[in-house]
Amino acid sequence: MVDATLHAFVLLFTGDPDLWRIIWVSLKTSVIGLLLAAPPAILLGYFIAMYRFRGRRIAIWLAQAALSLPTVLIGLLLYLLLSRRGPLGDLQWLFSQPGIVFGQCVVALPVLLAFTLAAVQALDPRYAETAIALGASRWQVMARMLYEGRFGVMAAVLSGFGRVISEVGCALMVGGNIEGQTRTITTAIALETSKGEFAQGIALGIVLVAIALLMNGALMLLQGDAHAARERA
Amino acid sequence: MSFTIHTSISAAVYENENVKPRDERRKALLGVRGLRKHHGERLLFDIERIEIATHGAYVLTGVNGAGKSTLLRVLGGLERAEIDSLRFEGLDILRVHPYPRALRKAIVYVHQHPILFSTSVPHNIGYGLELRRLHKEEIASTVEAAMAWAGVTHLRDSDPAKLSGGERQRVALARAKVLQPRLLLLDEPTSNLDGQAREQVIELIPTLVEAGSSVVIACHDRDLIGLPGVQRFKLRDGRLEVR
Repeated sequence: MVDATLHAFVLLFTGDPDLWRIIWVSLKTSVIGLLLAAPPAILLGYFIAMYRFRGRRIAIWLAQAALSLPTVLIGLLLYLLLSRRGPLGDLQWLFSQPGIVFGQCVVALPVLLAFTLAAVQALDPRYAETAIALGASRWQVMARMLYEGRFGVMAAVLSGFGRVISEVGCALMVGGNIEGQTRTITTAIALETSKGEFAQGIALGIVLVAIALLMNGALMLLQGDAHAARERA
Repeated sequence: MSFTIHTSISAAVYENENVKPRDERRKALLGVRGLRKHHGERLLFDIERIEIATHGAYVLTGVNGAGKSTLLRVLGGLERAEIDSLRFEGLDILRVHPYPRALRKAIVYVHQHPILFSTSVPHNIGYGLELRRLHKEEIASTVEAAMAWAGVTHLRDSDPAKLSGGERQRVALARAKVLQPRLLLLDEPTSNLDGQAREQVIELIPTLVEAGSSVVIACHDRDLIGLPGVQRFKLRDGRLEVR
């Protein structure tokens, strides 16, 4: 255990190319997936929060239920969609980085949507009314509301990133864990551990813990800012 | 600037297929007939006719729950109601839901407890001008003048969330004034204010009319009701009395 840990630090600090390629693939697919998911999810979260329509409660229920959907199940559904005989088989995304990006996007969507919905719902409705009263269009009202709820929206993005970087089920099923191509931090940890090679797994685990600490630190800062803003108000 | 905004509003309204020109003299700014509002099953008010004159000043009184705020919000396009006909600056507005944008830009509603955006005091005051895509220099000079008018210049660098009720109300009035609205709807602007803060707000209101806006103020404040040249509407039992 001690030897494996020491070896893990050696791998990390000597710039082991295999290890850093895995980290790079993870970060790249997670960030791209998140960036693709953020606009529609934030937009949808905003509209569900702001507008009254038939089926709104069902939409909220589904959005919140999707939060607890196991990523391995999302992976299975995407596998069926992307497999050669699936409806999206022609894209040839299965076991490729675009496939992982697609998966991360789907995994991030409910987190971004549900957190944005909660952030906008928590805002004083007079923000929107004031913007309308001053002549704002529908989109300008949205921009104003998202600005006023920016701490919540940023928390949504950070939480979404936390979810996609740490999930294993979808990345494994859709990516296939191909070395140098679709091997991510989490799939690599699973594989190396199953082989009894703990050093790389521990090194990648340290990276994940560092990312988790960074994300939570940023969230705490945001929550502190939001809390301070509420106290001032 | 008033002329520019006025012209653009009229042009926009004419371009809108939902309105048609009717009276170029435009003596009455706003005329509404058959205005009914229900809260669930309950009829809140049923107003046969309400007319707001250009450069007119009005107070709207009535007991709590009579529907004063709701009436202002309906006139400001923030709430829906049944409306038989609505005329604005001599133009018949054929479709009032949603409220035509030109009308929303010409009518500004100020909340009883105004909310300020979490930016800065100058940005709050200039927000409506930014929406109208005015030049930055023009916005800056207009905001500067409005801050001086409202006596909030010293609050330039203050956090909007930390302002007192009276300061908030004055910033909100300045934010409305810079838009030079044709109609300004003030919902109890002096409620919860006392002493100097209340007097400062009362002093600002006649100057809004002088600046060219028609003003309707929902209030209980005797000093506002007693302002010279102010006509009184009273909402009683769902009907609007003109005094």
